[in-house]
Amino acid sequence: MITLHTNYGDVSLELDFEKAPVSSANFLQYCRDGFYEGTVFHRVIDGFMIQGGGMTADMQNKPTRDPIQNEADNGLANETGTLAMARTNDPHSASSQFFINVADNTFLNHSGKNPQGWGYAVFARVTDGMDVVNKIKGVPTGRHGMHQDVPKDPVEIQKVTISDAYADK
Amino acid sequence: MTTLLISDLHLSPERPAVTRAFFAFLENQTDDVEALYILGDLFEAWIGDDDPAPLARQVIAALKKLSDSGVSLFFTHGNRDFMIGKQFARESGATLLPDHHLAELGGQRVLLLHGDTLCTGDADYQKFRRRYRHPLVKFLLRHLPLKKRQKMAVEWRQKSMRANANKSDNIMDVSEEAVAQLMAQYQVKLMIHGHTHRPYHHYMAYGERLVLGDWHQQGWYIRIEGNYPPELISFPIEEN
Repeated sequence: MITLHTNYGDVSLELDFEKAPVSSANFLQYCRDGFYEGTVFHRVIDGFMIQGGGMTADMQNKPTRDPIQNEADNGLANETGTLAMARTNDPHSASSQFFINVADNTFLNHSGKNPQGWGYAVFARVTDGMDVVNKIKGVPTGRHGMHQDVPKDPVEIQKVTISDAYADK
Repeated sequence: MTTLLISDLHLSPERPAVTRAFFAFLENQTDDVEALYILGDLFEAWIGDDDPAPLARQVIAALKKLSDSGVSLFFTHGNRDFMIGKQFARESGATLLPDHHLAELGGQRVLLLHGDTLCTGDADYQKFRRRYRHPLVKFLLRHLPLKKRQKMAVEWRQKSMRANANKSDNIMDVSEEAVAQLMAQYQVKLMIHGHTHRPYHHYMAYGERLVLGDWHQQGWYIRIEGNYPPELISFPIEEN
């Protein structure tokens, strides 16, 4: 179990090492490196998803490791409460950014191995703190330079704790 | 690498502030724009490509200046300006698009349309549309004497303003079923349209739908920059 301690409360999640081994290992490594501490949820859209894990409060991108393989064809659906890897339009461009689905976003699911159908890889699920996610999804947002839907007051991941259960992962 | 989309300006001689705002938009907002899509109802009424009226001529000239500067210009018919034809396209440098057009913008497949075809609940309108969009009917309309068509347009615009025909309450909203069906048919997860005068960025289980607003006290456009998600933007229109 991994807990994201944010300024709105704690969100706990379980990684799916079986169905999303690459994405789970990648996320766990960023957690171990302390990477997510000091990053914000920079793109928050109520009724859709909250996205973060890549930018600091002043909207600077943190340098990441290499991108990973897209595991969206693992059969896991982008349902409310799941976490998926964010990426650009290049199917295999995910690195550190992830998002938490706050609706059943069927259109993000894998439908084929082509640029339009690749979809977004679900790799984890919120096990506790969905009420915190729901608080975050409702915060006031606006434009910030190139970006839209940026929370007016930063929603920050202040600390990340990893349970002993993942010690051997 | 930026694309802009607009619709529903309903330009008419009775609303000069909107016309001015449109010209300012073309001048100021199109600096590193590679394409501008006009998704219908640019004009409140269009009586034919032979219209000598100053508004028609000025708009065509402004669009030509834009397309000459290297911006690709695309036009989809609305329910008001469905009579726009090949001559307009030639003179303005625009490419006329079909009712439903599949494009690739910002690295994504997107379906572009005016939006009136989604209002399947409005049976009367859909019947009217089938009749008036018929090539034979359009041919006949085009060949009515210009004076007759000018008179028809003046009457039409007066009646339309009295009836508040452009207020969103008086325009039926889209049918969710029609939206879902069309997006499935074209296999898109993103749809952009106007017509309903209900600007909004909808997130649904099966995809995103961005709706442009009509230009009245505010102007509206959608901006797709590089691979960033499309944004819906509004700005105030000064009365004078």
